[in-house]
Amino acid sequence: MNEKQVHKFVQRYLETTDCRIIEKSPAHFHVKLSPRADRDLTNRPFYWSFVDRTGADPETMSMLLVTDKQKYETSINNGGSGNGAAAAPSSQDEAANAALGRSLGYVHGTLHTSMRVPREELHYGSRKLEQLFESAKGGGSYVCLFQEPDKRGIHPHQSTAYTAWLGVNLKIEFACDQKREEIYSIGVSLATGQHIEQFHDRLLELRLTPRLPPNVHIAKNAVSLHKAAAMIEQTMERRLKSYDFNWAVSAAVRLQDELNTIEHYYDPLIQSAEEEHRAAIQEQYERRRNEIRWQYEPRVAVSAINCGIFHLQGIR
Amino acid sequence: MHSTTNNTFKGEMPPAAVSRKLHANADIQFDRSWLHNLQERADRNGPWDDWTMYQLAIEAEQSKLISSFDDLQCMRSLPAFEPMQHQISTARRVLHEMSGRAILADEVGLGKTIEAGLVLKEYMVRGLVRRALILVPASLVLQWVRELNQKFGISAIAQKKEHTWQYDVVVASIDTAKRDPHRDILLGQDYDILIIDEAHKLKNKKTTNYQFVNQLRKKYCLLLTATPVQNNMDELYNLITLLKPGQLGGQSDFAANFVVDKRIPKNEDQLQQALSTVMIRNRRGDGGIQFTKRIVRNIELSLSPEEQALYDAVTSFVRERYDESGGDLSSMLSLVTLQREVCSSRDAVFLTLVNMFKKTSEDSPVRAKIWQLVEVIKGIQANTKAEKTMSLINEMNDKVIIFTEYRATQEYLLQYLRSQQIVAVPYRGGMNRGKKDWMMDLFRGRAQVLIATEAGGEGINLQFCHNIINFDLPWNPMRVEQRIGRVHRLGQTNDVHIYNLCTLGTIEEHIVGLLHEKINLFELVIGELDHILERFEKKDGSIEQKLAKAMLEAGNTSDLRKRIDDLGNSISRVKEEVEAEEPLDASAIHAVMNSIAGQSVEVRP
Repeated sequence: MNEKQVHKFVQRYLETTDCRIIEKSPAHFHVKLSPRADRDLTNRPFYWSFVDRTGADPETMSMLLVTDKQKYETSINNGGSGNGAAAAPSSQDEAANAALGRSLGYVHGTLHTSMRVPREELHYGSRKLEQLFESAKGGGSYVCLFQEPDKRGIHPHQSTAYTAWLGVNLKIEFACDQKREEIYSIGVSLATGQHIEQFHDRLLELRLTPRLPPNVHIAKNAVSLHKAAAMIEQTMERRLKSYDFNWAVSAAVRLQDELNTIEHYYDPLIQSAEEEHRAAIQEQYERRRNEIRWQYEPRVAVSAINCGIFHLQGIR
Repeated sequence: MHSTTNNTFKGEMPPAAVSRKLHANADIQFDRSWLHNLQERADRNGPWDDWTMYQLAIEAEQSKLISSFDDLQCMRSLPAFEPMQHQISTARRVLHEMSGRAILADEVGLGKTIEAGLVLKEYMVRGLVRRALILVPASLVLQWVRELNQKFGISAIAQKKEHTWQYDVVVASIDTAKRDPHRDILLGQDYDILIIDEAHKLKNKKTTNYQFVNQLRKKYCLLLTATPVQNNMDELYNLITLLKPGQLGGQSDFAANFVVDKRIPKNEDQLQQALSTVMIRNRRGDGGIQFTKRIVRNIELSLSPEEQALYDAVTSFVRERYDESGGDLSSMLSLVTLQREVCSSRDAVFLTLVNMFKKTSEDSPVRAKIWQLVEVIKGIQANTKAEKTMSLINEMNDKVIIFTEYRATQEYLLQYLRSQQIVAVPYRGGMNRGKKDWMMDLFRGRAQVLIATEAGGEGINLQFCHNIINFDLPWNPMRVEQRIGRVHRLGQTNDVHIYNLCTLGTIEEHIVGLLHEKINLFELVIGELDHILERFEKKDGSIEQKLAKAMLEAGNTSDLRKRIDDLGNSISRVKEEVEAEEPLDASAIHAVMNSIAGQSVEVRP
């Protein structure tokens, strides 16, 4: 993600979590967080459990989110935007802040809410952006959506047929002592069992709403979720079988080499050991073997990033 | 009528995960927890998440996707960090050729910590490491925590209490870790990676440290040491056995194949090859690391008549006490401090005298004598050294660090410089981490002068400054070296100017002479002093004590000079020994070590 993409991402996140944007530029946002975003981003579990237990009105934090540090600082130095609370901290503030941050670890927030608006750099790889990612994942795991019907095509007395689809975004991890990943999006019609690949991209072309539109009827499901999931697994498995497995073959060779090496080390050791020590050495040998398997054993793991039930126009 | 949709989703709950054979060498595992959760929500008709968040979640995953086995992904998440080229290539080799088990044996100062940090970060980014245990000497714990947090954005935490072990990335001292109750906690864990700094301390199989580390369960493992072999070949064998038992064969194979004598290897080529699969050693280029120069100036000063009077008074006071004690050295050491303090500031002496006064019994005649000294102090109006310091500061018109041994002198200098319109900040060992950092930041920013009583301590890197004034000198040469090392290190782009203030006709003159002329302290290769002192002290005891003894026992100035010369000579002898020994003893091992794959790095700061 470059700065622009990060900026766009942050904007959509803030809007969808109902944060109040006090001020923004292409390089920053000054926001008053919504309770929902505050819970996920400010590391204040004790505060929030206090609010939950007492029912007190929550006081959410404001934050200065900088998405393009260079641009933001140039604009500040040119006396551009950034007045009031969002003003760039003076160098002395910054030094004090840096020292505070170091002695307290990375807990921003609670300590100086009242003092000034904490500033966060949101570059790719930064911890705050990672928190946004986590928050998005936590709040975007399971959906149930309906396609909005074409306005033109609607006949007031005619009901449009919809099909329910199971859509899943899968992450496939190919791992041994090294690792790579793929993302795979697949949809299965619960009416007919047919499946579509790159399902997520298709969804992005549609307008989706959580509410059931009027004059719509949904085709009877012939396939259970369980069945559909099994079909997805089969499809994935078939597909993955055709992959290049050289990585796994060479990892298996490395694994065997390593096992041989330690066998060569431990075998004579165990044989020549005195009776009272033998068990301990044997145990250590087992531990080493397990470590090596843990390290090298080639494996493929498939898990879902998120999934949902999508009701789409037409019967397919 | 539409509510019927939900009923059709009903189904039995699936198992959480299944595993099947996908290929002769690889199983496939399907995680089905998502299906379980989706089913549950379908049955209850909610709660459902937001469509935009759903899209953001997948975009986040796409941006983090690890699309290939063998590139270095972590760099794109560290935009502000530029490791050196040899550090990157070392990290790559550990990841791709050594499968994450390696000895990082770079020579001092080439950044082993950075290399380990890169490897750790890469594994974390790839999701291959979550739990990491980093064992280091106690004095380096905080430095590691800071480097990992600041340079690598890794939330590492310093181990403080028992519950700290629950965190994912913990830095701890090995001596704490191996003790109860920590020991059992650690042995009960599976660590994705274990990193050990200063790993040469694990050279002996019989130590509890070695046995403890050997029992830890880990997937990847990095051992960091600049000196994988110090004395004999077995050390090397033991170290590698921690990492990969059998890599050099069984103990007897190793002895038969690679060892002539415990210090002399054979079949060097094969040994080197075998080592190259588990060890990377980057070396300084032929010219050594291109450190900038140290320019040392001894500034000789004459005490003002008032100061000289105090020095003489204190000297005879000390001598009297020594004679009274009948030559009992141990109780006299603190007295010698008095003489050194006179050379620093009247404030320093005064404080010590007041404390001494309080400790002396009320009817003791010594009390009156102490009081006489205090009277002499009152006569002193100016500090010769401080005035000289002021003129040096004006002359260089640049940032400068002033080191002193005494708190009282530090306070005095702060005031004095303030009265001269110079912005100065203090730094001392007793400050907590946050305050130290703050002082460092102030010095980097507004203050022209840092006045420090402590040179050791972790993590103060002051490469942006290249002037040091030794207001007074410690008697322990290692501490002098530490002072200079704060400034004269990798990353220093200027020649470093060192000014030693030295009052003539005092003990100080002898000390400067010893350190500068005899030990040639200021021009030693980094790391060499360590070696020499260790050797010297094993034989003769600490230099500080020897100096104090010479001070007290010497009848007159020329006797003192002779004693200090003797001391200098015996240090010189050790130095020659050390230098001469190296090629005889360990040349063959070192030849092997030096041909271990790695780069020759010309570091031009």
